[in-house]
Amino acid sequence: MKITQNLQKNKQALSQLQNSDDIVFLDLNIGKSTALLIFAKEIVDKDALGQLVLRPALGLEGQVDKDTLWDCFLNPEKQKVFESEQVIDQVLSGFALLLCDGVDFAVSFGVQKYEKRAIAEPPTSTVIKGPREGFVESLPVNVSLIRRRLKSPQLVFENDVCGRLSKTAVSICYIDNVVDKELLKEVKKKLKAVDIDAVLDSSYLAKYLSDCKPSIFKRVGNTEKPDILVSKILEGRVAILVDGSPIALTVPYLLLEDFQSPSDYYNSPYSATIARFIRLFSVILALLLPAVFVSAELFHLQLIPLSFLLTIVNSIKGIPLSPSYEMFFTFLIFEILNEASVRMPKYVGMVVSIVGGLVLGETAVNAGIISPPTLMIIALSGICLYTVPELEQPLSFLRLFFLIIAGSIGIYGLIIAVSSLMVHLTCSESFSVPLTAPFAPLVKKDLKDSFYKGFLAENNSRPQSLNNKNKRRLDKNVEE
Amino acid sequence: MKQALKTRQICLFFIAFAPITKLFMLPSVVASLAHNDGWITACINLALDLVTLLIINLACAKNNLTFIQLLESAFGKIGGKVICFLYAVYFLLKGFMPLQEQKEFVKLSLYINLPTDLFFLPFFALSFYLCLKPLRAIGRLADICWLFTLAGYLLLIFLSFSGVDFGAIMPVGVNIKGAIKASYHSLNWWGDCVYLLFFMGNFARQKRASVKIILSYVLSGVIVIVAFIFFWGTFTSIAFRQKFAMTELSKYTTVINNVGRFDYVGILFILFSCTFSLALPLYFCCRLLNYVFSLKSPWISPIIANGLSLFFTLFLNQRLSTTTFIFQRYFSLVFLVFSNILPLFTVFIKAKKHTDKGDCYEPNKT
Repeated sequence: MKITQNLQKNKQALSQLQNSDDIVFLDLNIGKSTALLIFAKEIVDKDALGQLVLRPALGLEGQVDKDTLWDCFLNPEKQKVFESEQVIDQVLSGFALLLCDGVDFAVSFGVQKYEKRAIAEPPTSTVIKGPREGFVESLPVNVSLIRRRLKSPQLVFENDVCGRLSKTAVSICYIDNVVDKELLKEVKKKLKAVDIDAVLDSSYLAKYLSDCKPSIFKRVGNTEKPDILVSKILEGRVAILVDGSPIALTVPYLLLEDFQSPSDYYNSPYSATIARFIRLFSVILALLLPAVFVSAELFHLQLIPLSFLLTIVNSIKGIPLSPSYEMFFTFLIFEILNEASVRMPKYVGMVVSIVGGLVLGETAVNAGIISPPTLMIIALSGICLYTVPELEQPLSFLRLFFLIIAGSIGIYGLIIAVSSLMVHLTCSESFSVPLTAPFAPLVKKDLKDSFYKGFLAENNSRPQSLNNKNKRRLDKNVEE
Repeated sequence: MKQALKTRQICLFFIAFAPITKLFMLPSVVASLAHNDGWITACINLALDLVTLLIINLACAKNNLTFIQLLESAFGKIGGKVICFLYAVYFLLKGFMPLQEQKEFVKLSLYINLPTDLFFLPFFALSFYLCLKPLRAIGRLADICWLFTLAGYLLLIFLSFSGVDFGAIMPVGVNIKGAIKASYHSLNWWGDCVYLLFFMGNFARQKRASVKIILSYVLSGVIVIVAFIFFWGTFTSIAFRQKFAMTELSKYTTVINNVGRFDYVGILFILFSCTFSLALPLYFCCRLLNYVFSLKSPWISPIIANGLSLFFTLFLNQRLSTTTFIFQRYFSLVFLVFSNILPLFTVFIKAKKHTDKGDCYEPNKT
């Protein structure tokens, strides 16, 4: 509904806001005209409201017309609003709206003030060397963190709103002369199609941005660190920032990203390469060690060296459970302890560690319920899982799946399961980019930042796996 | 139009998948006929395949059409469908023998304590799943699997090196008649060059594509020839009794005494690539059935192809020797015709202007 020159009529149109006690309708007299200031008192900066809105407004004299009203405010974030629905949206977003009798628009002032967390190091990606700043829940702060790192006119933020009730601010961020326009179009299309009552976290949008095909692997990358996000958009990706979430989304996503740690880029390439291979080896160990051990114990004893076999035989003597049940049981205990330690308050966490590690583990072995090799294998596999924390959930599921397969079919079943996983992964795509790139399909140029980490100076081209617009960094023909 | 595959992927496809199925039972089959000249058998088969590959390459270079489009343009839609149906049957047959020997291998070598066919059955689940995937999946799998094939193969060769008597292959050529006979009987295992027919028009030809493809096929052949030499050098006169060559080769290395069957790492790597290699004939069979019967649902052809293979696998579960005999005796000619003779004619087919946009070879893009 349009804002009219009749203040009473406008007030009636905005009556649905009057039900809530935190919305203030302040009647004013500006010169000889009556006016109405509307704002949500808990989310506006009252000092700014007084200084930038009320003081100049109350200083006006005589009959107030459109131009006088507009010109008297020096607030840099003022704008004209012509629809009552828009007035409601803006009030609920922390703006102050001034309506005046005889003026057919409302003046909106950006005087929002939200309580926000201080910038801190994100707990999910800590580094020894390198920037420690992490995103917070405030979108403007996150935008400022990115802009501070990339002072280029090519860096673009496009704002949108998602969620029917929450009307959460969403910002699409990209580098204009690098990003693939088709990708950008697809991201915008998918965001437009989001029909949900509230977007409480960026993970809500991640599900809409992913393809509909069910998969245990994610199709959208995420980061909590502005330096990582900047490096990703420099490669031609699109980032999506969501107000209220400290986690930014990035697309397209490659599986390899999860094996790359921020510290790899701040340390020497040699140690980064070693660290990446250790992560890969750990993931393979985490996934396959329990399954291979169970299948070797059950079906393929010839796989185990004789001396080790004798140790195992001695340790499993008297264990009432079969190797697969024993492993499954230990796996279950590990997962329960893991879940409990994540959910429990920090001060109880220590108790859980002691109860889990010492009491449960030690006692179970001493009581002859589980054998030491099984306990050791599950513990090692569990630790290995956390070398790539981003993949913890899918790997944990696969570990259980492989364990069941190995316990029932043995090593050939395991090969079939791994092969099926390979088929699934090689066919999965994120925004038309294969998840397994640069290995399948093989992209030679991208291998220098894969498991092998090349020198920074060597890395003068953007990933060819992504369909970015200009493939070379510092290309002379491209405007910066 | 963006092509599903790249030349590199075709090359890696041949390195990853072509030699694998020839490393299990074939060496003992060849040894029984050609004795110390088994490697010459492999050379003859390789030469035959290379000629076919060269001709298919020429056909690929001549036009950008897929094999089906080429057939349609030469023989019309019905003629094309008939030939494709025959090829679908051929692929079903081509995949059958390696499946049987793989099943036996899994049963007798991997599950010594509990030999049963049931452990092999999950293979059909993988094959079914692969059959639902588009052609680019094969290229991407080749990008990964060649590493496993080579790593597994080199490890086994390295472990068996100390036990090989290379002098055992001398004197060369005394069993040349046996070698020629063996090469005829081993046509079932060879003829992987035929896959290139079905990649026609589906891959972007890069500079010197033909040379690269032929060299990769030569490499895959060399892998088999070396394996044959190692096999005869290790077992000599009792070689024909060693059914599953590659697992037997490295058994006697001294390393195994200290670290257990370390060679199983290599065997498992080879088995990993082998699962895809075995599923490939069924995969191409499905794609041809999709075209021949214009199947809209992607599920039907994988059910038919895998169902038939599963049925015969179960039906002939105790008849590996009989199956091998029948295939060598009665089907060798079929394999010669479909793998090596019919593809030669592709170069003579004059393609009419094809109006179909896109790839008619992808009826069920998933």
